[in-house]
Amino acid sequence: MSRSIHPAVAGAQPFQLAVRERPDGPLLQTGEGKERLEMVLSRYPSPRAALLPMLGYVQSRKGWIEPSDMNEVAEALGLAPAFVHSVATFYTMYNKRPVGRHFIQVCTNISCHLNGAGEVLARFLEETETRQGEVSATGEFTVIEAECLGACGFATVVQVNDRYLECVTAEKVPEILKELRDSARSGAAASDEARRGSGERSP
Amino acid sequence: MSYPHRSDLETSTRLSRYQGRPEARALDGWERLGGYEALRKACGMSPGEITDVVKASGLRGRGGAGFPTGLKWSFMPEGGDKPHYLCCNADESEPGAFKDREVIRWTPHLLLEGCLIAARAIRAEHVYIYVRGEFFEETKVLNRAVVEAYERGYIGPNVAGTDWSCDVTVHLGAGAYIAGEETGLMNSLSGNRAEPWAKPPFPAQSGVFGMPTTVNNVETLATVPGLIAHGAEWYRQWGSDKSPGTKLWSCSGHLARPGNYEFELGVPLRDIIFGACGGTHSGKAVKAVIPGGSSTAFLAGDELDCATTYEGLQEAGSSLGTASPIVMDASTDIVAAMRRIAQFYAHESCGQCVQCREGTSWVVRILQRIEAGDGAPRDIDTLYDLCEQMTGRTICVLADSVVFPLRSALDKFRADFEARMKQRLFAPAAAAGGSARLATAGV
Amino acid sequence: MADNAMNGSAIELTIDGARVKVPPGTRVIDAAERAGIVVPRYCYHPGIPSRPAQCRVCLVEVEGRPKLEPSCTLPAADGMVVRTASDVVSEARRSVIEFLLVNHPLDCPICDAAGQCMLQDYAYSTNQLESRVNEPKLVMGRDRIADDILYFADRCIICTCCVRFMSDVAEDNVLIVAKRGSKAYIDTFPGRKLDNPFQGNIVDACPVGALVHEDFLFKARAWDMDAAASVCPGCSTGCNVMIETKENQIVRLKPRYNGAVNSYWMCDHGRRCLVMTNRGVRAETPLIRDDDGELRPAGWAEALEWTRGKIEQAGSPGGEAIVSPGASNESLFFLRLLLDRLGIESAGFSVPQGETASLPGVPTLKLRADRAPNVAGAEMFGGERADGELAAATGRPRDGGALVVLDDQLDGAGDSFGEGEGLFLYFGARLPSAARHADAVLPVATFAEMDGTFTNADGRVQRFHQALAPPGIARPAWMVLSRLLASGRNGRAISDIREAFARMAESTPAFAGLTWDGIGLKGASVADSRAAAPEAPAGTAG
Repeated sequence: MSRSIHPAVAGAQPFQLAVRERPDGPLLQTGEGKERLEMVLSRYPSPRAALLPMLGYVQSRKGWIEPSDMNEVAEALGLAPAFVHSVATFYTMYNKRPVGRHFIQVCTNISCHLNGAGEVLARFLEETETRQGEVSATGEFTVIEAECLGACGFATVVQVNDRYLECVTAEKVPEILKELRDSARSGAAASDEARRGSGERSP
Repeated sequence: MSYPHRSDLETSTRLSRYQGRPEARALDGWERLGGYEALRKACGMSPGEITDVVKASGLRGRGGAGFPTGLKWSFMPEGGDKPHYLCCNADESEPGAFKDREVIRWTPHLLLEGCLIAARAIRAEHVYIYVRGEFFEETKVLNRAVVEAYERGYIGPNVAGTDWSCDVTVHLGAGAYIAGEETGLMNSLSGNRAEPWAKPPFPAQSGVFGMPTTVNNVETLATVPGLIAHGAEWYRQWGSDKSPGTKLWSCSGHLARPGNYEFELGVPLRDIIFGACGGTHSGKAVKAVIPGGSSTAFLAGDELDCATTYEGLQEAGSSLGTASPIVMDASTDIVAAMRRIAQFYAHESCGQCVQCREGTSWVVRILQRIEAGDGAPRDIDTLYDLCEQMTGRTICVLADSVVFPLRSALDKFRADFEARMKQRLFAPAAAAGGSARLATAGV
Repeated sequence: MADNAMNGSAIELTIDGARVKVPPGTRVIDAAERAGIVVPRYCYHPGIPSRPAQCRVCLVEVEGRPKLEPSCTLPAADGMVVRTASDVVSEARRSVIEFLLVNHPLDCPICDAAGQCMLQDYAYSTNQLESRVNEPKLVMGRDRIADDILYFADRCIICTCCVRFMSDVAEDNVLIVAKRGSKAYIDTFPGRKLDNPFQGNIVDACPVGALVHEDFLFKARAWDMDAAASVCPGCSTGCNVMIETKENQIVRLKPRYNGAVNSYWMCDHGRRCLVMTNRGVRAETPLIRDDDGELRPAGWAEALEWTRGKIEQAGSPGGEAIVSPGASNESLFFLRLLLDRLGIESAGFSVPQGETASLPGVPTLKLRADRAPNVAGAEMFGGERADGELAAATGRPRDGGALVVLDDQLDGAGDSFGEGEGLFLYFGARLPSAARHADAVLPVATFAEMDGTFTNADGRVQRFHQALAPPGIARPAWMVLSRLLASGRNGRAISDIREAFARMAESTPAFAGLTWDGIGLKGASVADSRAAAPEAPAGTAG
């Protein structure tokens, strides 16, 4: 697994991953975090511009962003913690609460709506035995309704962590969940870390 | 499954020619296909000359507003010691649109080439490509292309062997439709909430980081290398005088063959829907089409003979927008569809302007009530009036974006709304039986 | 209308038919005010530099422009024709108010802002008597954003005045807008509260009832309160304030605009100390020492007569005095006359000290270490500043000299303070136990119960006005003193503040040329308050 990331793309790494370390303590003061911070900072005339990339980085490591993380990012960039809180709550992709290992976002916007997204969503919720936003009992799944994912020709579109599943129908849901469960169990599936930087599409 | 349908009309696949061909993704392959030739050519031109070609081509911005690209570039100040920036708007999030995603994931180098040529034209020293956060996979493709281009000297100091330097940075959004509005994008790129600002200041005076900035859509920039390589006249062989060129069409909804297609501007909308896309998958009649992404006005099924130019769709009472027809067949519940569209805009309102913050969510709740069968006829009047109050009063056009589909839905499908109205005991329709019974009881 | 100091570069525009000349760069909303037209506004606050133009209630029609424009950011231009009340504008404004009311709880009957609420006002003025809203309201609840400030999110209109006061004026980036769209609300960092010495201003900046001081919560309705223009006694800056009272109690303080001093703001210490004015046991009736040596109540006529006799009896014994830097200039002036009569040269005063704080956006507004409003005045009238508790040092048994105290609490005084043979006069609003040996206790009003002036640390003389009735028969010290000093051959007693001020001004070089009416509600600068300390005004007293 290559850690050598070009600074030009250091701030544009996937940040919704299944493999999550849950490091205790600061992330940005040493090692990879520090390196990433410096790379990102080198690309902008103002340190504030590194805010979104660094929030993303924290989420990619932990799976979600809690107030102590916002504080750390604020400190690293010389920003007010409250400001970071304001920005983090503006954007919907920052998880302010923990989510399941497989974060399933079902697009229900117009094109998907016309193609049965409502049933897909209902089926996901039913099969995972959760309500929207909840982490399933096993910790594996969180399912939410999402706004347009920008792949309307492939309705219904479902985002699972950092990848898209296209043309999903309610009937396919059990199979999808089974695959996700199996991938976690066998550990054979390429981890998100390994897929980082790859350009290949998932099936 | 990734690119299910090739265009049926092989008129002019300029932009999308290499979509679906994996070799175009990598730099070696791209160079074999003639990649970066246009950049080399542009490096031999002055910024003014590049801009002149783009102006002469009549290329209009593909992000939705259709503003002439060359003219936009010419707003950038000449001279001065401030750095200039180019922002590539890859925050594709208009419901219905998925064309930029296709450009990025199949032909990332085409986009980079366009970015670099545009950067040269506006004398930008840095290009920021703002990609919507959900596009992780597309970003990975783009990232690899950027790194390749750096390694081979197309980006960085001495672009393509010249003495001109330009950097490119990929920036990932985090879930905010409004970051696709140009001032919202610049605010977001600077690390703020993606709140649009009231112009002035205009981006060319004071844009991202307070410096002169141009914001262009992915498809616009991807069109530029072709213009430079072949010239403005070449481009003008397609389309109309006011809408020259070709355009990617993101077709979705109840279609037999949804997907992206490239057409010359001006092809009848009917041909796109019934030709390339094969009509509805159910075989039912088309009830409605939103031709330019969810923020444009509905066309009824019998209004599809219009030409797909900026002016043609305007005459038809809608607009080209992002050229993303959402097709609805006869089974469609227009009230529910409209409610879903409105819900999106309520969810994405940044919350600055009162009309948008309160108006969009109020519209949603009225529509939900009508959908649930609890509406009253006066709700339609209220919705019409809200359309009036939400038009042209706010910093950006997000509030207007819900008005276009809403007003046209009320105009064209009023019966669908009225059919959902509450059946009241004393309302004329239900009165006969009900009141008669009461009258009998009273006697 | 009169245009003063307009140069050739002034631009002229027409607003609602009135021609207005303004300097270049003026925004239309401000230009309109010059023509006497107040364009409704929420997010625009003249004391907050940023103008996000987001409330959209100040939209106006400009001839030749297709869309309505926000007048708060629109620069006035030569020849511009603006309409602020045309049908289109009125309709747009009405709809903004309607939108704001969609999720508003309409809880005016229990809202502290009712009667002073810009949402309520505009709802009435745009005639919104009926609602078209048939939907359940979004409910957000309330939050404590500071120890003494509550945030009612349902009433909030997201004008962000509070956020921008903190960020632009206090330069303390602690208050923000969280989330977005109809879910947006004002928030602090999770788990934190505001902790800024100027945070109370966000309540004043709030145009509706979203931010409320907890100590004012449910205390009074706007229409039940009386208000008087005054000056904050909290420190030597002298912020201009309005004292709001109900049933002769101070219930709330609001800063009053003064561009030379506090702009639109004041500090929280000032707010607290003014409300504290309600506390304490007050001296309500004159007390004089009768023949068997006991203090007994007396009416003013008797008390003054008695005291006057004692003064004449004492002659010019010399002695000591303690004055208060919280007393008004007029009181200090008349006290000076008394001290001269008694041959007392030294008048000490002590100034309570506290932490300082400054408001970055308004350099002239500081919470100063000197926690008294009239230190400069006390010095001007011959007072000498002492460190620590003055009474502990001064209060030795006397050797026949006189001791005069004006409104000092005599903290630190020993049991035997003031015991002895000479004359001991105590002028005070309260009755500390150390005054027990006084020959006469003459009850005086606090600054809130009288008219007068203070001189602030920058040498600015500022008027304050009576907000409360004094308790019992207490009277302003200057009035008591002027009566005490008035005798047959020595002029008449003064009971009008204008006259008292004039009397002071004519014998005090620093105040030369100033009149009560002339300094107005915004005050005026003393030429040089330190150099202008008067010569002992010999002759004026006798």
